[in-house]
Amino acid sequence: MFSTFLEGLQLVLQPDVLIAILAASIYGLIVGALPGLSATMATALLVPVTFYMSPIAAVAAIIAASAMAIFSGDIPGCLLRIPGTPASAAYTDEAFAMTKKGEAETALGICLWFSAIGGIIGTLSLIIMAPLLAEMAFKFSTFEYFWLAFLGLMCATLVARSSPPKAIAAMFLGLLVSAVGIENPAGTPRFTFGMTDLLGGIEPIPVLVGVFAVAEIMRGMALKDPPSIPHRRFGSILKGQWELTKTHKPQQIRGNIVGIIIGVLPGAGADMAAWVSYAMAKRFSKTPEKFGTGHPEGLIEAGASNNASLASGWVPALLFGIPGDTITAIAIGVLYMKGLNPGPTLFTEKASSMYALYIIFILSNIIMIPLGIAMIRLSSTVLRLPRYTVMSVIVLLCAVGSFATGNNLFLVLLVAIFGVVGYLMEKNGYPVAALVLGVVMGTMVEQSFVTSLIKSDGSILPFFSRPVSAVLAAMTFAALLWPAAVWALKKSRNRLQPASP
Amino acid sequence: MIISDRISGGGLAALGLVSFIYGSGLPPVPGQPVGPEVFPMVVGAGLMFCGSLVALGIGRTFEEETEIIVSEDGTTQGETNAAVEPGAVFKVALPPLLLVFYVLASESIGFIPTAFVMVAAMCLALGARVRSALLMAAVAPPLVHLIFSKLLRVPLPAGLLPMPW
Repeated sequence: MFSTFLEGLQLVLQPDVLIAILAASIYGLIVGALPGLSATMATALLVPVTFYMSPIAAVAAIIAASAMAIFSGDIPGCLLRIPGTPASAAYTDEAFAMTKKGEAETALGICLWFSAIGGIIGTLSLIIMAPLLAEMAFKFSTFEYFWLAFLGLMCATLVARSSPPKAIAAMFLGLLVSAVGIENPAGTPRFTFGMTDLLGGIEPIPVLVGVFAVAEIMRGMALKDPPSIPHRRFGSILKGQWELTKTHKPQQIRGNIVGIIIGVLPGAGADMAAWVSYAMAKRFSKTPEKFGTGHPEGLIEAGASNNASLASGWVPALLFGIPGDTITAIAIGVLYMKGLNPGPTLFTEKASSMYALYIIFILSNIIMIPLGIAMIRLSSTVLRLPRYTVMSVIVLLCAVGSFATGNNLFLVLLVAIFGVVGYLMEKNGYPVAALVLGVVMGTMVEQSFVTSLIKSDGSILPFFSRPVSAVLAAMTFAALLWPAAVWALKKSRNRLQPASP
Repeated sequence: MIISDRISGGGLAALGLVSFIYGSGLPPVPGQPVGPEVFPMVVGAGLMFCGSLVALGIGRTFEEETEIIVSEDGTTQGETNAAVEPGAVFKVALPPLLLVFYVLASESIGFIPTAFVMVAAMCLALGARVRSALLMAAVAPPLVHLIFSKLLRVPLPAGLLPMPW
């Protein structure tokens, strides 16, 4: 084991990997700090560039950029009350209240320090959980994979903050997109309408760039310019963080655990983790009345939570190819491209690569502290950049980047189409994360379903009679029926309410 | 750009129906119980069901409950309510339109002129002064070209204005 660790370390200490980590970190910090540009978008735009990197460097770039972007989204939230990424939205008011009290350094310090710790704890959970689950996953057959994929899809619709029918419809739309082309068990062209460009199917990458990058830019077009930030000199950022670490142990433990759990759930990522953790911090606090007035408790818990979820989101991604959040949905595409196909064998045959991945996670969270401090000090300059400079270049990058993934102009057209689709969906309450999950997992769902049916000669009995299958099936049906149960409960409670005074 | 649930749900249900009918017409694999037709049919049926639920307004209670959260989300912050104005609609539609422009124009006039138009249009739409927009449009495309064509070796069309590298 120690020799594999050393091999992993060797893989990381290559100059190209280290340069990739540093460059991606700076890129992530800047994109994350710009309001309206999310961590997912930063990652999606990075994919075309990772085409040209070595496998480890490509994965390293994605890990570093996403971790930095999630932290740096806190900076404009703290200073301008505009969250840089949706993951910071939960505690933006709290952080800004601290800034107004003259404690901007403490607030930013909390975001940075506890983000880094959360990220490291999340990584530890990945290191512990993944090999244990891999052990189990070796016994899985197509029946279990089918239920896992299905359960993953259901989870994504459950955690979406929208109406269940809309979320499930979005997921089906994604599955339909994945059905295009000849990559199905029989190799029959489907939904190609005689177009050769559609024969190869619709790859997840143009869909991702479309719904995350183009749609975000479209939303950004309607936004007003953020207020310009007053020039300020920051005192020591990390001062007092150690005391807070010692005095706020329960918040950190809760935040990290909640973040890890939400990260593992397919489709739910950092923004969800932050919302849940902030709400939990308030509920369990001895002084809930102080929340919203610039109180560190919620900030610590939610700041740790969103970064912890980032690493644990890789658990289902690496093991089953099921994305834990939208960022890992992108990462899965890169893993396949680089020959690191997700699955339990990754942990046996490519163990050194896995160690390299763990090391990259830890390393990124450590360099987050010095780079983050630099970014905070430079923030007034970066946030003064007029929005058109960045947004115009991003549109250009969407075009060139998607073209680069296949040297095909049709891909650029797909990006434009999915940009419009993503924009319309978001505006009308259809969660795009569910669509993306459908696109990424469609092939897996179909293949495991059809292969299972062929194996069982058309009988659906083995889907329920195998022990693990049965458990997974029960969980899936519970997930399916949950919204209906909540709805019925709410209805009966509403009926009771008028009776009570 | 808000579409009523009746229309979006109905549209999805119709799409599901198309997928179902299309799927049922696909040739089965001889000797096998299931073939390529099953998946489009299952997905089509699901879309029809969910689309109808959306059109009937079932499940809307869940949206109301989370309304407060969504409005605090960064994506909706500070949004102008004037999205109905034709100018605003055009502004929102500009990024995908520019991508379509790239598809149509880059092969014939080349990367640099196409990118110049795209960057300039974006800057102007976002309220940049003409001089800054032209400056951005002159500086950014060669840089992007340098990175993608030199470092990443993407064959970008040279067109009317080939770059020296």
